[in-house]
This record gives sequence, structure tokens and C-alpha cells, in this order.
Amino acid sequence: MAYVSMGEAHRRITEYLSRFCDAVSYQDSSTLCRLLSFSSNSPSLLSIADALNVFQDAGSLIRQSDKFSEYGEILAHLFRSLQSYRVGNLVEAYLAFEKFANAFVQEFRNWESAWALEALYVVCYEIRVLAEKADKELTINGKSPEKLKAAGSLLMKVFGVLAGKGPKRVGALYVTCQLFKTYFKLGTVNLCRSVIRSIETARIFDFEEFPRRDKVTYMYYTGRLEVFNENFPAADTKLSYALQYCNPKRERNIRMILKYLIPVKLSIGIIPKDELLQNYNLHEYKKIVQALKKGDLRLLRHALQEHEDRFLRSGVYLVLEKLELQVYQRLMKKIYIIQKQSDPGRAHQLKLEVIAKALRWLEMDMDLDEVECIMTILIYKNLVKGYLAHKSKVVVLSKQDPFPKLNGKPVGS
Amino acid sequence: MNRRNRGFSSSSSAAASRVSNTYGNRQTSNNQRIGSSGGASDSYRRRSDVPPHKRNYDKEESENKDTDPADASFIVGTCSSMCPERERLTRERLRDLSVFERLYGNTTKSSTDLAVKKFCRTLSAADVQASDVRPLPVLEETLRYLLGLLDSTEHPFEVVHDFIFDRTRSIRQDLSIQNLANERVISLYEEMVKFHIISNQRLQSCSGTSISSMHHLNMEQLAKTLTSLYNIYDANRKPDYIYENEAEFRSLYVLLHLNPSSGVMGEPLSLWFRKLTLALIKSKEICFVRNLLRLYRMGNYKNFLSTTASEATHLQYCISEPHIREMRSFAVQCINNVCYKLQPYPLLRLSQNLMMKELDVESLCHECGLETCTDSDGFTVLPAKQSTFRNPEDKFKVYDLIGIERIMRKF
Repeated sequence: MAYVSMGEAHRRITEYLSRFCDAVSYQDSSTLCRLLSFSSNSPSLLSIADALNVFQDAGSLIRQSDKFSEYGEILAHLFRSLQSYRVGNLVEAYLAFEKFANAFVQEFRNWESAWALEALYVVCYEIRVLAEKADKELTINGKSPEKLKAAGSLLMKVFGVLAGKGPKRVGALYVTCQLFKTYFKLGTVNLCRSVIRSIETARIFDFEEFPRRDKVTYMYYTGRLEVFNENFPAADTKLSYALQYCNPKRERNIRMILKYLIPVKLSIGIIPKDELLQNYNLHEYKKIVQALKKGDLRLLRHALQEHEDRFLRSGVYLVLEKLELQVYQRLMKKIYIIQKQSDPGRAHQLKLEVIAKALRWLEMDMDLDEVECIMTILIYKNLVKGYLAHKSKVVVLSKQDPFPKLNGKPVGS
Repeated sequence: MNRRNRGFSSSSSAAASRVSNTYGNRQTSNNQRIGSSGGASDSYRRRSDVPPHKRNYDKEESENKDTDPADASFIVGTCSSMCPERERLTRERLRDLSVFERLYGNTTKSSTDLAVKKFCRTLSAADVQASDVRPLPVLEETLRYLLGLLDSTEHPFEVVHDFIFDRTRSIRQDLSIQNLANERVISLYEEMVKFHIISNQRLQSCSGTSISSMHHLNMEQLAKTLTSLYNIYDANRKPDYIYENEAEFRSLYVLLHLNPSSGVMGEPLSLWFRKLTLALIKSKEICFVRNLLRLYRMGNYKNFLSTTASEATHLQYCISEPHIREMRSFAVQCINNVCYKLQPYPLLRLSQNLMMKELDVESLCHECGLETCTDSDGFTVLPAKQSTFRNPEDKFKVYDLIGIERIMRKF
């Protein structure tokens, strides 16, 4: 922390107060945003924080002037938060910011126009980020982390404030996205349901009116929820929307969308190009894609094992595991193609013995009963067209299109 | 409700949370009831006004951190018998005694050895006293007593189940009110989970109009008890540590949610797995159920059934029964659908694949609306491509799983 003289501290604090009050008076949202963005760690904010820690009695400065004392409560909490933030006391910083936010939201309600929406966004963002930091501090100190949960409640309150007929309602989607991020971080993903219901069914909201950036984020999170619930067609729609409208320069965001979209696409039989995986550094899917293309079950198992932790954490493991049947299908097709080359007349007969042999090459030891079981499933789920002659221990493939493509539908639907 | 509640999430029994919530505002430093002087204002003292309260029997909680003032005021029970005396007297008077509580069959007389505290759905702060709540040792004794009744043959199982169902719910309520969470409590919850699971299985062979709703309620409480158990496992967790039976009890969740549309409450498995620690993921029990999950979703009936038969624990098997049944019907459906009409499928082979007795397979086929017949060599076969397949109506009929005898307990 830099050394600051009392005089200089006084000057800085007064300047901040002026800027704040002017911003409100002249409805200057962008200035207000800058004054509230703690996490930006901007030099100017840090210098105010230093000043506050030296001066220690900012309250007196606020009270001195009518102009400042109008927002006395808001400013007092804000300053306390900034001070605590600067010295690394994050739980205190959060608590004070929460009080500030509550007071700020009250004021916001009274402002008729939506001029301060951007500033409100900043407040919502900061409260979430501060809460996360505060929870980390609590956990390190062996206490129970509960600030993020509290931040969630506050965000819900803000949502309620915005959910009205006026121009402020276009802010609701931003707050929704902050709520999503909060709930996803907390693992209480089921809480997303109620806010989704509000957005999608309330008559005051017209989805198209919301800013594009928020729509993309919204579709990303709701798409992820569909992935958790394994609703692949819905997940495809939402994540594809997010991909389509995402700013192409935001590579990190595109990568995040693809991380979930690729398993979904694979489940409906659509394979990404290698360049896509390469460009967005999604190498964890490379082997999976290869396994699908080659019908290599061993490679699939290996790929799942190699990135098991990562896939489990992101929630796509079960989706990828389910690709096994498609890999089987590809393997059968390969056997068929090979047979066609050597004995075209009888290629459409797949002996169970031959399949078992192929599987043994892939280090999968299965008895004929299990091979038969798998073929039965493949036929039943329409991945293979034909029938099973049990006594002859052979699968007879249909002459036409024996390995139907998925055509955008998940297996077995 | 931003309580720091030692790992109990608000998804535990709603009644329990409601009760615990009412305790947030109580003064309990002398374990006595407030408000007897009519002070309604006393009931609404803020939690931070209440002095922190020491817990008497959480000796295992060596990491009892400095409590927040917000963490204080959980009641400490003092009731020394299975049922609070005033409740017993009231119920004797009202003839509200279960058959198990009656002294020599007398509907108006019970005793401290027989009466067990009933579950009470709505409790207000004014009604509950420390003398109504049983401390941990008494709860342990109560549960032991209740589980001992499981083997009783005097009454039909539904009656036994109903009684234990209700009285264990009351035990959970007492545990929750006192916010108890340690290894002894874990044992209690584990035993109660076992009760629900075994009941689940035994109810299936009972008949009667109320069985279906009993079954449903039992499943509901099973889910709630499991959730509470998981919360206690999670509270005060040392890194990379798992409790002795934790892996098995976690695995039960997966088995309950094998079928996403089964309607059992809880989160989707993809989400659930995210929260498991590495130690759990690597555990034998979790690996086992993940394998079963894969096989189930693939439809690989043969491997699913043989793996279950050879590796499942007793509890895992009990929970898996509906899915075993499902896989078997599915197998019959597939075989009927894909086989060559001129080569009917021998039931002997099918019975081996489905880990069933041949007669049971035949019975299953008939349940599925399919005919069986005898071929020229005298073997029973299932002709394919019959158009009459339907899923069996009786959801609960269970056929033996060959190979599971290794772990079956006798009742």
C-alpha cells in the first residue's frame, strides 16, 4: 500500500464523492460503472482505497456536504467495502458490499428511467465475484462458506425489481445469467428452474428484446442444463444458438460452448472436423472422435479413462460413454466392408464367431452369448438392420442400408 | 434461510427443517420452555441474542470450531425413554396406541418399554420441550428396538413396516432438531436407509390396496434419508477421507437413478457425479455401479445381470430388483423383435443369459404376452416375431437371480 498524506487522502476521497454524486445527478452510467468495479483493480480505485485506509473517517466527509450526504448510507457501505477489499479482508468486503448493494437497489427502484442499468450490472457482477472470494476465505479458515448463497438471494431480489413492465426489464436476462453462474458454482442447479420459468413464460418478457450477449449466455447455461438432463435435441438447439450468435472474437467463450456442444452432436451422429478441435484446443475429444470413426472400442474406453476426471467434472462423461453403441455400429460396418471385399456374395452374413474375433483383437474378451446380446441390442435400436439367426449363430444384414445413420436423432429414439 | 446448518441442506425432510427453523429463535440455555410466562416476544428473539450452546455428546467433533452466535440454540433433548411421558399418557387416554405399544393387548395402556415416540408433522416452537426430545443414546436404543421388530411374525409385514416407518421418521426428526452429526449418527442413518430398502423389497410380496402407496411413501423417505446421510458425510469432511460404509451408501443413489424417468427425487446423475470426491470415484462400490449404469443404458442385459449377480451387495441387489426385472423384459422384447422367425430361441439358453430358472423365464414370457412352445427335440422355445408383446403389468413380481444366493440374508 502506497503512502498517502492526509491531505492527499482527503482530496482523493472528496473527488470520488463528487464524481459519484455527479454521475447520479447527470445519469452518467459509465462513470458510475467505473467507480463500482472493484474487481477491475483499477489504479484509481486502489488509490481511493489507500486514501480511505489512511483517512479512516470518510463518514465525516460525507456528512459535511449536503450533496454527499444524500447518498450517505450507500457511500458509507461502499467505502467500508472498498477499504476491506484493499486490505484483503474479503468477508468484510462482501458484507459491506451486500449492504451497499441493497441500498443501491432501493435507489435504483426510485429512478424512473433505466439509465443506471449498466451500473446495476456491475453491482450484480461484483457481488457474485466478491461472494466467491469471501467463501474461499471462509473455507480456508475452516468456516462454512455461505456468502455465495447469500449473493444468490440478493440477485433474486434484483431480478424481482427488474421484472416489471418498464424499460428496466431488459436487464433481467443479465441478472438471470449471474444467477446461473452462482447456482452452477454452488451446485444448486435445480434453483435455475424458477428463474427460467419466469423468463420463458412471463408475458412481460420478450426474449428477442434482450441484448444479444445476454441471450447467448442464457442459451449456453440452459443448454448445459439440457445436457445434464440428456435432452439432446433441446441441448443441440440451445448450444447451437449460443455458438451461432457468440462474438467470434471471444474464443474462450466459443470453446466453452463447444465443450458441451460436441458431445451433444456426437450423440446425434454428427462428427466435428479435426480443425475445429485443433483451433479451439479441445484435444480431449480427439480420441473419442477417432474411436467413432474407426469403430475402435478400445480407443473409446481409453479416451474416457484418460480424461475421466475432466469429463466427470464438466458433466459430459455419461454422454460420451453412451457413444459406445455407435462405435459398435461402426465396427460392424467395418467388418461388413472387409467381408464385401473378400466374398461379396456372403458379406451380409455376420457370423458371431467373426465378431467375437474382432472384439478379441480390440482386447475385449466376450463369449458368444454376450456378442449375441450386443447384436440384439444394435438391431433392436436400429443401429443395424437385419435379424439374428440364433441357431446358425449369425446376424443376417438387410441388403439395403444395413447401418442406418442417426440423422440428427439420438440412438434408440 | 441462511442458516449455517452443519451440512444439513434444506432438502432434508421439510418438516424437520421447519422444526429446526423454529428453534432458531429460542433461548435454550437452561433447556426449559420459554413462553410459559406468556412472553410471545421471547419466541422472537433474534438468534444473535442467544448465547452459544454447548452440545453434550458430540465428542467425536473434535473440530468444533468457534461457533458463530448464529450457530447456537439447538435444543438438547432430555427425554430418557423411547417415548416422552406426556405423549404416552395422552395417547393412552386417546387410545392412540399401535398394536406394538399395547400392554397385553390393552388399547389404553402402554409402558416405557413399548411406547415409541410418534412422528409429528407440524410442530410449533411453543409445543416442543427438551423433555420431548430424545438424546442420542436413547435414539440409538430406540432404533435397535424398532429394528428388532422386523423379524416379528405376529403381524403382517405391512403393519410392522408402517409402525417402524413412522417411528424411524420421528427418530430422524429428533436427530434433526438437535442438529446431531457424528459417526454414531451416521450409523443410525445407515440403519434407517437399510430399513427402507429391505422394506421396499418385502413390500413387493405383500398384497393389499394400500401397498402401492406405502411403497411410494417408502421410496420417498428412502430418498430423504439418503440425502440427510450424504449431508452428514459431507459435513466436517477431512480431505480424501471416506467413512467406512460411505462408498456403498453413495452407490445406492446411482442405482436409484438408473432410469432418469423413474421419478425418484434428486438431481440428474451427471450433476451428482461432479460432486464426488476422487476417493469415492475410485472406490470399488462406485466403480461397480458406474459399470452397471453403463450396461443398463446400453441395454446390455446379459452383462448387467451377470455383473449384478456376481458383485452386488445385499443392499445394492435389493435396490436393483426393479431394473433386473426391466432388463429381463427388455431382453425378451429384443429377442422377440430381432430373431429369425424360423429359428425360435431356446428358453434354456435364455434362462442362462438372464440368470433365471427356465420355468421362471417361461413365466416371464407369458407375462409379456408371448407364447412359448416345444420344438421337435422336446426343448421349450420362444418363437420370434410375435406381435403380442407387452410390458408385464405386475411391477413387483420378482424372479430369483441365480448367483445372488451368496449374499441373501434369511428373514
